[in-house]
Amino acid sequence: MNIPLLMPQLGNETTEAELTEWLKAVGDPVREGEQILIVTTTKLSMEIEAPATGVLKDIVVPEGDIAEIGATLAIIATE
Amino acid sequence: MPKEITVDPNIVRQRSTVSFAEIPVNAYATPFSEERARRGDAALTEVLRHMLIIREFESMLGSFKATGAYAGIPFNYKGPAHLSIGQEGAAVGAALALEPEDHIFGSHRSHGEFIAKGLSAIARLEAPALRAIMAGHQDGGLLRAVETHLGGDGKVLAENFLLFGLLSEIFMRANGFNGGMGGSMHAFFPPFGAYPNNAIVGASGGIATGAALRRKLSGAKGITVANSGDGSTGCGPVWEAMNFASMAQFETLWGEKHGGLPVLFFFNNNFYAMGGQTIGETMGWDRLSRIGAAINPASMHAETVDGSNPLAVADAVARKRALLLEGKGPALLDVECYRISGHSTTDASVYRSREEMQLWEPHDPIVLFQSQLLAEGILTDESLAAMRAQVVAQVTAVTAAAVNPEAAPIVDVRADPTLIGKLMFSHHEIPVPATPAPLLAAPETSARIRQNAKKARFGLSETGEKLSSMRAITLRDGLFEAVLHHMTQDPSLIAYGEECREWGGAFGVYRGLSEILPYDRLFNSPISEAAIVATAVGYALEGGRSLVELMYGDFIGRAGDEIFNQMAKWHAMSAGALKVPVVLRCSVGSKYGAQHSQDWSSLVAHIPGLKVIYPATPYDAKGLLASALSSDDPVVFFESQRLYDTVEPFRTEGVPTEYYRIPIGEPDIKRAGSDLTILTIGPSLYSAMAAADELQANYGISAEIIDARTLVPFNYDTVLESVKKTGRLLLVSEASERGSFAMTLSSNITRFAYGDLKAAPRVLGSPNWIVPGAEMESTYFPQVDDILDAVTSDFFPEKRVNRRGVRDWNDLDLARLAL
Repeated sequence: MNIPLLMPQLGNETTEAELTEWLKAVGDPVREGEQILIVTTTKLSMEIEAPATGVLKDIVVPEGDIAEIGATLAIIATE
Repeated sequence: MPKEITVDPNIVRQRSTVSFAEIPVNAYATPFSEERARRGDAALTEVLRHMLIIREFESMLGSFKATGAYAGIPFNYKGPAHLSIGQEGAAVGAALALEPEDHIFGSHRSHGEFIAKGLSAIARLEAPALRAIMAGHQDGGLLRAVETHLGGDGKVLAENFLLFGLLSEIFMRANGFNGGMGGSMHAFFPPFGAYPNNAIVGASGGIATGAALRRKLSGAKGITVANSGDGSTGCGPVWEAMNFASMAQFETLWGEKHGGLPVLFFFNNNFYAMGGQTIGETMGWDRLSRIGAAINPASMHAETVDGSNPLAVADAVARKRALLLEGKGPALLDVECYRISGHSTTDASVYRSREEMQLWEPHDPIVLFQSQLLAEGILTDESLAAMRAQVVAQVTAVTAAAVNPEAAPIVDVRADPTLIGKLMFSHHEIPVPATPAPLLAAPETSARIRQNAKKARFGLSETGEKLSSMRAITLRDGLFEAVLHHMTQDPSLIAYGEECREWGGAFGVYRGLSEILPYDRLFNSPISEAAIVATAVGYALEGGRSLVELMYGDFIGRAGDEIFNQMAKWHAMSAGALKVPVVLRCSVGSKYGAQHSQDWSSLVAHIPGLKVIYPATPYDAKGLLASALSSDDPVVFFESQRLYDTVEPFRTEGVPTEYYRIPIGEPDIKRAGSDLTILTIGPSLYSAMAAADELQANYGISAEIIDARTLVPFNYDTVLESVKKTGRLLLVSEASERGSFAMTLSSNITRFAYGDLKAAPRVLGSPNWIVPGAEMESTYFPQVDDILDAVTSDFFPEKRVNRRGVRDWNDLDLARLAL
C-alpha cells in the first residue's frame, strides 16, 4: 500500500516551505515516527516524521524545492 | 532548549530532597597578630585613615545640608546627600581586597565605596601610571585645578585629585569627574576601577553582571563588584541579575569558554531600606545571605560578614575574589553594617529607636578599629590625633577649593544652552567591521544562507506579481543579513535574548545562526527582560557591543528602568566618556490582543537618550539595522511581526546582497504626489500605499507617501519640502494617538510649516483603548478605509462620499471619557 508523505501545516499563515534535506534515500526502510525530512519555512526549520513503516518508495519533491502545504512530498510503500 | 541536555523522567520523577550548602555567618576568626604580621602596621593604619577620610568627607556633606556650612566655609549645596556614616568598614574592607583592575558598580549611597576604591587604587598604582591617569582625564583640566588650588606630591596629589574630582562632581561642577552630569548619586571614575554609581536601587546588579560577562569574554583580569543595599533584595531586577549571572549554561554549554561570571554581589546590609526594616518587617529572610541558596547549588558561595570589622570584610572579599578568578562565580556577600546617619539629611529616624542607635555606637567600625590600633600600640593618642587632624585639614582644603568657582567652575548652560543636549549622543559609528570572528562553521554551510542565496532580491516578478516569502528576500532576511555581517566580522558583538539560539529568536530572525556562532556569541537568556537589557548595558559600558531581543515590544515594561534610566542615560551622565552601543530589538505584535500587540515606539521616543528606528521594508530594515549595530549610541529597533514576511516592493534593483548602511534619522519618500502628504510610521506605510492608489483612481487625489523609518533622530526637511508642495499632511501610525510620536511630529510640522499648510494636519493612530484580539484588530489599527475617510473629510470635503471606516466617533467626546 502506498502512503503519501504530505507537507504538514507549519503555522497559521505558512503556505509553503522548502525541503531542506532528505534524511533518507529512495529504497531506505523507514519506521513510523522516524524523522526523514527537514523542511524550512521563513521562520523555522522542522523535522518531518514518516507517517508509516515501510520503504521510501519515491521522492516526489527533491531537496531544495519549495512545496505548498498539503503537497505530496514522497511515497512510502508498506507491506 | 539545547538537545544535548535531556530532561529524563527517570531522574525527574525519583523521590529525593533538595539540599543546601551551609552559609557561614561571621566566619572570620583570624587573630589580629596574624593580620599585623601579614599586612604590616602601616597598611593597618591606612585602613583607619581611609575610613576617617570617608567619615569626614560625608560629615562635611551632612554639615552643608544641615547648617549651610562646614569648617567655617558657607555653601548652599542643593543636591542630595545619601550618607553611609557607620558603613565605612564595609567600603574600606572591600577595597583592601580589590586590585585597581577590579571594577565596582554602586548604589545611590556610594560615596564611601567610591573613595575607598579610589584610595585603594592610588595606593597600589605606580607613580607613572597614576600620573598618566590624572593627566589623561579632561585633557589634564582636573589635574591642573588640583595642582593650582590644592597641590601635594605623589600620592597626596592623587588623593586630592580623587576627593576634589568627587566633590566637584557632587557640586555638579564642570571639572567634576563626570563633568557635573552625574552628581552625588552617580559619581564614578573608571581609571580607578570605580564604575557608575546608580540612583536606582539595585540597578547595578544587572549592569555589573553584563560587565562581568564582558570581562570573561575579553579575558580581562580581575572581578566586577555589584554594590547595593539590603533593600535591593526586594527588587525583581536584582534577582534577575543574580539568576542571569548563575546560568548553568556557562558551565554546561559554553565549551572552551566555560566558567562562571566573575561578579560579586556585595550587599551593604544596613538593616533599613530607607525606613522599612528588612529583617522582621519587609523581607522574608532572616539573614540576607540566605537568598544565595535560592539561586544555585553553590548558594552563590554566600556568607554573612561583620561589616563593623574592615579586616573581616577584606578577608571575605579576598576569598570570593579567588573563587571568581577560578571561574566559580558568581558570589554573594551580606555585609552587615549599621548606618549611623539617616537615609538622607531629611531623615528624622522615626523608624528606629534611640536605644537601638545607642546599642550600635560601640560597634562603629572606626571606634572599634582605632581602639584596636591603640591597644596594640600601633598608634598612640598623639599619632591618632595627628592623623585625625590631617584628615580634617585635607577634607577642609578640598572643600574650600570645590566651593571656589575659580577652582571648580560651574557648568555654564547659559553660555551654551544646548550644552547638555550635545552630551546625549556621540553620533559616532564604527567602521564597517572586518575582523573575522571564530565560528563553529563557515557561513556558507548554513541552510538559511543557502536558502536566501536562491531567493530573488526584489519582491515582484517580471510580470509585477508579488513573490512569496519563500521565493524573495523578506524583511526578516534583511535583518538576518545585517546581523550575519556584524556577528561574523565583529568579535566584540554578542547577541542574546529569550530563545535566540536554536529557535533563532521568537520570530526566526536569527534562524541558522546557531549553526555558525558559538554559545558565547549567541545564547538563550532566561525570561528576564530587565536582566537582558541591564547586562547588555554593562557589557557595552566595558567596551563590548550588544544586540539583545525582547520577544514583544509589550515587554518593554518589564525592562522599564533598564531602558529608560540605564541604556538611555549613561552616555550623557558620563559627559560622553562612556559609550552605550546597545541595540534592543523589539517586535511589535499582532493578533495576540491587549498585551502582545502594542506599538510602543512613542514611549521610548519620549525618553531622551535613545535612538528609535522602525523600518517597514526589507531594504530599509537591512540598512538601518547595520547602522544601528554600528552606532556607538543606544538604539531601540522596532520590527512589526506583520512585516517579517514582507518582500521588497519599492526598490526595483532589490535588496543588495552586499553590506550597506542607511543613515539613521532620514525619512524616505516611498511614493511621489502633489495634493497631500501622508507620513507613516511602521506598517502603516502599506495601508497608506493602498489608500493612495484608491485616492488617485477614484478621487483624483495625488498623495505623496513618506515613511518616517526613524523616530529619533528625525530630519524634518523631507516632510517640510513635501508639505510646501502639497499643503496637506496626514500622519498615520499604529500607536495609540494620545501622546504619540505622530502627535509630536504633527505639532512640530504645524509650527515649522504653518505658512504652507492649507488645513490643520491630522493624526490617524489607534484609539486610546486596548488592542483587541485578531477578530477585531481591523477595527483598531488604521485601515485603508480609515485613511480614505480622514483624507476626504479633513482635506477634501467636497469629495467625501459615504464613510467607510469605523472611526465614526467624536474625538472631543472621547477625550472627556478618558478615551
